This record gives sequence, C-alpha cells and structure tokens, in this order.
Amino acid sequence: MFKTTRRALMVSVLGSGLMAALPVQQVFAGGEVTISHYFTGDLGLDGLKQIFAEFNKETGITVKDSPIGHEDFKTGILVRAAGGNLPDVFSYWAGAKTQFIINSKSLHPIDDMWKAANLDAIVAKPVADGATLYNGHRYLIPFGYHYAGIFYNKKILQKAGITEMPKTWDEFKAMCDKLKAAGVTPIALGSKNRWPAQFWFDYLLLRTAGPDYRAKLMAGTASYTDPEVAQAMELWKQLLEAGDFTKTPNAYDWTDAADQVQRGDAAMTLMGTWITGYWNTNKFTDADYDFFEFPTVKDGVPRAAVGPVDGLVIAANAKNMEGAEKLLAFMISKPDVQAKWASIQGALSANEKVDPKTYTPVMQHALDVVKHAPAFAFNYDLATPPAVSEVGLSMFSQFLDNPGDVKSMLDQTQTAAAAAFKQ
Amino acid sequence: MEKDKTLWRVAMLIPPLAVFGILVVWPLFSSFYYSITNWNGFSADYRYVGFDNFLQIFHDPLFTRAAVNTVIWMLAAVIVPTGLGLVLALLIDSQVPGASVFKSIFYLPICLSAIVVGQIWVWIYQPDWGLLNTAISLVTGGNSHFAWLAKPGTALYAVIAAWSWQQTGLAMVIFLAGLTAIPADLIEVCHIEGASSGQRIRQVVLPLLRPATVVVVALGLINSLKGFDILYIMTGGGPFNSSDTLAMHMYNESFKKYHMGYGSAISVVLFLIALAIIFAYFRQLRKVDEIYE
Repeated sequence: MFKTTRRALMVSVLGSGLMAALPVQQVFAGGEVTISHYFTGDLGLDGLKQIFAEFNKETGITVKDSPIGHEDFKTGILVRAAGGNLPDVFSYWAGAKTQFIINSKSLHPIDDMWKAANLDAIVAKPVADGATLYNGHRYLIPFGYHYAGIFYNKKILQKAGITEMPKTWDEFKAMCDKLKAAGVTPIALGSKNRWPAQFWFDYLLLRTAGPDYRAKLMAGTASYTDPEVAQAMELWKQLLEAGDFTKTPNAYDWTDAADQVQRGDAAMTLMGTWITGYWNTNKFTDADYDFFEFPTVKDGVPRAAVGPVDGLVIAANAKNMEGAEKLLAFMISKPDVQAKWASIQGALSANEKVDPKTYTPVMQHALDVVKHAPAFAFNYDLATPPAVSEVGLSMFSQFLDNPGDVKSMLDQTQTAAAAAFKQ
Repeated sequence: MEKDKTLWRVAMLIPPLAVFGILVVWPLFSSFYYSITNWNGFSADYRYVGFDNFLQIFHDPLFTRAAVNTVIWMLAAVIVPTGLGLVLALLIDSQVPGASVFKSIFYLPICLSAIVVGQIWVWIYQPDWGLLNTAISLVTGGNSHFAWLAKPGTALYAVIAAWSWQQTGLAMVIFLAGLTAIPADLIEVCHIEGASSGQRIRQVVLPLLRPATVVVVALGLINSLKGFDILYIMTGGGPFNSSDTLAMHMYNESFKKYHMGYGSAISVVLFLIALAIIFAYFRQLRKVDEIYE
C-alpha cells in the first residue's frame, strides 16, 4: 500500500513538474519557423497560407502561424517578449515602435541576409532607408506599405458640382463649403480607436512646419508648445468649428467613417490605402471612389507623404535563425508573392520589381504620389516613441471632443511628453 | 493506514498547488519584483530604482483620475446591483405571476462573459441605431444621437449600467436564498399583527437578510475589482482616459506605454487594496457565522 502511495506521490510530483515546464517549454522541430502577425482578415489569412505553402515547397521549411488581431497584437507580442517566448518571426510597424524593441535588444540584425539577397536592388530606396535601417543596421523587411490620402465618393462630389480636386488649403475649404451647401458633411472621421485622427495632425504639421520640424517634434527636440504645433492645431480647429467633420468622431471606428462615405452621408475621409481593400470587399469599387493628396497649406513647404510600413522582423533569440532569414528573404524578394500580398491588403509593395500594372488604378495613383513625394513620413504613432504617442493620441481625442482650449491641451501634452521622453 | 491517506491527500494537492503557484503566486511576486525596476517589458536590461515607481504615483494625474474612477466604479458597481437585486428578490418572493420565468430571465446575464455583455451594451449605446437612443427618440419624439461611450461625462456611468445589468441577477439569487431562510411563521405573525408591507420588510425581512447582504456586498466588491474586461471592451478607459480605473491605468502603462515597472507598481497598490477588502470580507463572514451559531 505504501509503495502504491509513494508511486502516486512521485507521479503527482512528476505531473506537476511537467505542468510547470509546459508554459516555458519551447517546442522546436527542425525545419520549422514560427511566425506571429496581425493580418487576421480572411483574405490576409488565406493569402499568407498560400504564400507559406509556396515557401515550404521551395525550401522544405514549415511555417507555424499564430495570427492575432491588430489591436490585440500590440499587447500580445509584448506579453510574449516579457515571457522570453517571442516567435522566430513577427510582423511589426516600422519606425519608432521597431526602434524601441531594437533598443531593448529583442531583434536580430539582418545585414548579412540583406546583402546575400541583394535587397538594395529590390527594395525602394525611400522605404528602405526610413523603415529598415536602425542604429546603422538592417533589422526589418518592409512587407508592404500604405499611403494616407483623402479618399472620396465620386458621385457625391459630382452631385455637389465639384470636378476639380483642391490643390491648396483655400481651395480645400471652399470645397468643404460647397459640399455643406449641397447638404453633405464634407469629412468623415472615426477616431474611436484614436489613431485615425493622427493623419490630420501629421499632414497639417508637415504642410505648415515641414518634415524637418516634425522630425524634431517626434524625437523630443521640439516642443508641443511651439507656435508651429499651435498653428497646425488652429487650422484643424477651424475645420471642426466650421462643421466640416461628422459629429462625435470619437464614437465611430474608421470603418464607420468609410461606411459614411460609401453611403454618401459624408463626402471624404483622410485614411490609409487599406481603405481600398475594405471598400472593395463591400462592393464599393475604383469606379466609385478615388483620392487626392492633402493640399498645400504653406507655399514652399515640401509635400511629404504619410503612411505606415508593415514589416517583418526576427527575434534576437529565434530558434531557427537560418529558416527565419530565408522566410524574410522569400517574402520581400519574390515579385509574385509581393504582388499577391499587396493586392490582398490594399497595400503598396516595397519591391520595385513588382509590375505597377498589377495594382488597381487608385493604387497606381498612390504609388505615383509616393514616388514623387520629396519625403515619406511615418504616421504619428509610428514616428514618436510609444509612451509619447499614447499622450498625443489621447490629446487628439480630447481635442475632437471639445477643441476649446487648445493651448492648455498642448501645455499638458508637452509636460507628459517630456516626462515620457526622459524615461 | 492513516499515513497512507495523508500521503494521498498531499499527492492530490500537489498538482492544484503547483498550478496555483505558477499562475498566481509566481506572477504576484514577479510584480513585486518588477515594481522596483525600470523594466520596459521588452528589454533584458533593466535596473533597480527603489521606490521611484511608487513615488511617481503621487505625481501622476492619470493615476489620481483612475483612483477616483475606481472608487466611483466600486461604490456604484456594488450599490446598484445590490439594491436592484434586493427589489427583484422581494418582488419574485411575493409570488407575482410568472415569478420563476422572471427569475430565470434576470439571472441569465450572469451566465454571459463580460466581453459578450460589453459588446451587447456597445450596440445598445450606438449613437445612430442603438436601442437606447432609439427608445429615447420614440419617447421624446426627438432624434437622439447621443454618444454615451464617447463622452467623458457619461462613459464610466454607461459601463456601470452594463455591469449592473449583469451583476443584478447574482445579487437577486443570493437574496432569494436568504428570503427562503426566513421562518414562514414570522411573516405570518406580521400579517396577524397587521403590519404593513413596508413595516414587514423594514423591521423583519431586511434585518434577517443581513447575512445575505454581507455576502452580496462582499462578492460585489471583489467582482468589481475584477471588472477590467467589460471596461476594456466598452471604452478601453476612454475617451481620453475619462473612464480609466486603476486596473485599466495599469494596463495602459504596462502594455501601451511599455512602462512595465511603473505598471507593476500600480498593480501592487491595487493588490493591497484588494487584500484589505478581502480581509474585511473574511471578518464579516466570521460575524455572519457567529449570527448563525
């Protein structure tokens, strides 16, 4: 009896030990690369499944995929990093967010792979320099990028008698007045998740103070109390007070704003090119919408383009480093893979070998704008460190709720941003 | 023989204790440890900062706002379901027609996860086609489009209403159990002596429901401390931190601003508050036991 009991005790202890080991155990099979990403739409998941199957066919390496929804990914990947349990490869946003995890020594540099795959000849230079180089080393491959423009409903503009798209701020304001006179709210904005509002701040600051000043603000060497920032906010305030935006933007998501434009409740929305993927799925096609560039506000200021770059990075402690590098090289250097992915995501490819004809006319137009833009700037929450962008994004929400006391909001933002930069 | 039994008991206890140790005790001590560091959640390099994170709490306006919201949240999240639960229990106990059907209907929300409840109420509060604005428009003959969750003055209270809707069923069931424990002859004496309904409830029923009330209030307090998920799904602490509670503030600092050390310090403060409440709860339970003895 005692023997049985002792055995039970041993089994129990062993069982408990195994349970204890389970959460931290790294399951690794040869020829397998683990990946986590935020492309969880049906089309994206299907597309990646096909791309990973092609990769497996070419290299014999299996890709073990664990996708997480876009907003939850921001937390999920941090939890995995905190537990020392990052996947071999994961998607990440190029810019300050990537810089942050590089400074935390969580990423593996890919300079050797970059050279071996001759990516200098493949990746578009403006994207390559801005999105992949950190502290003098390459860390990220741009898997696709987007451009933020003012997307509009063609029929609504036609009905209001607008045939020429505005090139200047005055023309833009006149266009808004014309739309209001026709009974249509000019601009839809869905800032429930805060980030959709940032494009307004980005463009107004870039078009008035220029890319160099904006880079300083993003790096913490300029202040939110500067007249440059106040001027950008003042222009935004004028639009809000003129009734040019849909009511209570903080109550709606960006997809709600897209729906408002599609239905004709509003005429246009400032959004990234991913909106084309959303609209196309909703049977609102190229024939129904187009976009124009954010107008010039101040003469002589370079007309920078704004957008995010979706990247793929390798964890510093990846279990299958060789396989991970092969996967990254495959993902960026194959024009057919890039063309397929760009089409699914409504994105632009950073691979210059991709035939522009594979894009829709609207996306060709976007590509043309980016190519001719004097600078490509990351949107606010990718351009400034995460702790600072949290402060700024909340300020935009507060401003949209009640744009009354802008100076006080900017003072508070500067205090919080300065503290965040110090940490 | 007795020794064998003891060993079996120990053997059976080891797996759950191991799970508890890994999932509760270890993270708890990890939080204490990280609260005295400047860890950002990603980096392997971090350093000891003593009590700096705890001192920072006193200079953080968002913490103050979150603390005030937590007090409002806890008070309302306890008082409203307790009051409504008591009223419903008394109505159902008075044998209104269809009492058992009403009991099931009112209890149903507690079977749903907070995420599901949160999403249902996000739809109810939707400005254009939500049930609440539609009802207001019908009643007033106007055209209500109020953004309940997007306005700083209403966001927290809108979530409290959703939370109360879910928790009322639990309070009701506990009060109903308490009501069945009241001797029928006592109520009969009330009738014979000509006591009104109000007098009966105030002077007989409510005092005898004290043990049930202690349980309802204590459970309400503990559940309200765990009330993170419904806030996360409904407002995420917004708009612009107006519905942040301490749990939400801890989450934002740790996972959005990557201030894991500071977030851990907030979690330690929250833990101490929970500990004080649980301590008070056990003291009350002991008193209840004494009443029954």
